[in-house]
Amino acid sequence: MKALIVDDEPLARRELRRLLAAFPWIQIVGEAGDIDDARERIEALSPGIVFLDVQMPGGTGFDLLGQLDRVPRIIFTTAYDHYAVKAFDVSALDYLLKPIEPERLAAALAKIHAGLPSAGRAITDSPLEQLFVRDGPRCWFVPLREVSVFSAEGNYVRLQWGKERPMLGRSLAALEEKLDARCFFRANRRQIVNLEFIRNVELGEGGRLHVQLRDGPEIEISRRQARLFRARTTV
Amino acid sequence: MHGPSISSVIDQPSSRLSIRRKTSLAYWSLQIIGWSLFFYGQASGEVIFASVPWSKAATLWGGICLAGIGLTHLLRWVAKRHAWLALPPAPLLTRILAGVLLVSLTYYFITIALSLTVYGTPVAPILGAFYRKLVPGAQLFNQFINSLAVNLMWVAIYFGFVMQRHRYRAELRQAQLNEALQAAELRLLKSQLNPHFLFNALNGVRALIADEPGHAQDAVTQLARTLRYTLAAGDEDLVTMARELEMVDDYLALESLRLAERLHVVREIDSAASTVRIPVMLLQTLVENAVKHGIAPLRRGGALRIAARVVESELIIQVVNPRPIDATADRATEGVGLKNSSERLRLLFGPAARLHLDLSVAGQAIAEVRLPV
Repeated sequence: MKALIVDDEPLARRELRRLLAAFPWIQIVGEAGDIDDARERIEALSPGIVFLDVQMPGGTGFDLLGQLDRVPRIIFTTAYDHYAVKAFDVSALDYLLKPIEPERLAAALAKIHAGLPSAGRAITDSPLEQLFVRDGPRCWFVPLREVSVFSAEGNYVRLQWGKERPMLGRSLAALEEKLDARCFFRANRRQIVNLEFIRNVELGEGGRLHVQLRDGPEIEISRRQARLFRARTTV
Repeated sequence: MHGPSISSVIDQPSSRLSIRRKTSLAYWSLQIIGWSLFFYGQASGEVIFASVPWSKAATLWGGICLAGIGLTHLLRWVAKRHAWLALPPAPLLTRILAGVLLVSLTYYFITIALSLTVYGTPVAPILGAFYRKLVPGAQLFNQFINSLAVNLMWVAIYFGFVMQRHRYRAELRQAQLNEALQAAELRLLKSQLNPHFLFNALNGVRALIADEPGHAQDAVTQLARTLRYTLAAGDEDLVTMARELEMVDDYLALESLRLAERLHVVREIDSAASTVRIPVMLLQTLVENAVKHGIAPLRRGGALRIAARVVESELIIQVVNPRPIDATADRATEGVGLKNSSERLRLLFGPAARLHLDLSVAGQAIAEVRLPV
């Protein structure tokens, strides 16, 4: 399995490399020192597993996950970060505390070897199915078909996902490109709505449409988009 | 009683006020109830045993009891005024006995004067009836013993109570103070032993052991020295600049393990500055802040400049470092260490010393300390 090591400290990378030498089925295909580097390498090398440091210059490991469309299997590594460790615990993400104990590393890798349900998928051109989001100390892999509305808030996007309202660190326009156009519809400048959540549609003033969602809010479809909406849904 | 500084640390001003009001209410209730009971016992006894009219008995004993209240209250005032409760047992007992003797004597003469006024005899009729078999001189002596007994009883009840209360409060305050001190020490220790640094350093050492054992040995020594210095920091307030710089060098050597070429250190220390005594861990805190919030978050790192010089009997320490331009999130945690340092400077040197963090230039931080030499 291809592995990438992401850590800003050369010594930490060297140490992990040595520890991983004991696992011949892990093939280290590269290293990265910050999250921009890491994102490029993940996209270029499509590793099956990434060892990811939390504190790095230019952004945290969590920031990196938020930027990735398709997240490989992640094992976080951190020296001491109270906040992050809490996030790992509530999210059942794998993590290793530095200095890394060989036994703990073996246990984490054994889980992957046993083929437990994986968070990562091979990179294909199919639309996005899940996203990594973080909200305070909690973080999730959110299945997109469970999200009813994506709302722009500045340069970020807020997800309406059940009772949770996590933020995603990317723009609505960037997100729209990656979404499955058969399921998601740009209702107006600020919102993208999940078509499966629509309960009923009412005609509003000046050719606008009002969409009632199953989980509460009413969304307005702008005049320009209303024509598209009618064509798409062929009602 | 206790020094006001200690009690004001523990007690809220409002609760102290209400405690005082409650105490005062309890004191006056007991004073009035006690003396009223005594008044009733003596006056009614006098009416029954000496066959005197109520009006005369009430006048005599009413006067005596009012005098009793006044005198004992005066004793209480003196005891509070001169903080008797803070005295060791022997001088306290001497003062209480002297006080009760004086109060009893005055009480005794007031009794004689009142009795002469009301009845024309120096011995109150109830005592005259009680001690009728004694000669007049012995009756007067017994009247004095009675005065003493009444006031001794008052003193026993009053001081018995306030001494017990004093002991209880002192113990409570001591316990609270110990707790606060321990919490503060723990906080200090925890803030000084930066776990992120510690575990990263250990991880670095682990990586070095196989390939560069010599380098690993040095790192372990530096780590040990750093820890020892940090743990000892609680024992002394001031160290020489030179001693503090040794600690800073060890620390920076360890940070270089993980930051590698991203950390570049420039030192400009005047020889006159190195003998000046500064608060322990002061420079270390500034340097640690500079690395943690300035150099480490920068992808390319940068140069950390440590300068110290003596100008006109003032030591000026400067720590200058680059920092991320959009660093807003870390501002709060950065504040804690510097605020602590600033507070310690003030406690040790007064207003003559100050710490200033200049963030006016984007992408740069200048921490400056000035203290009198």
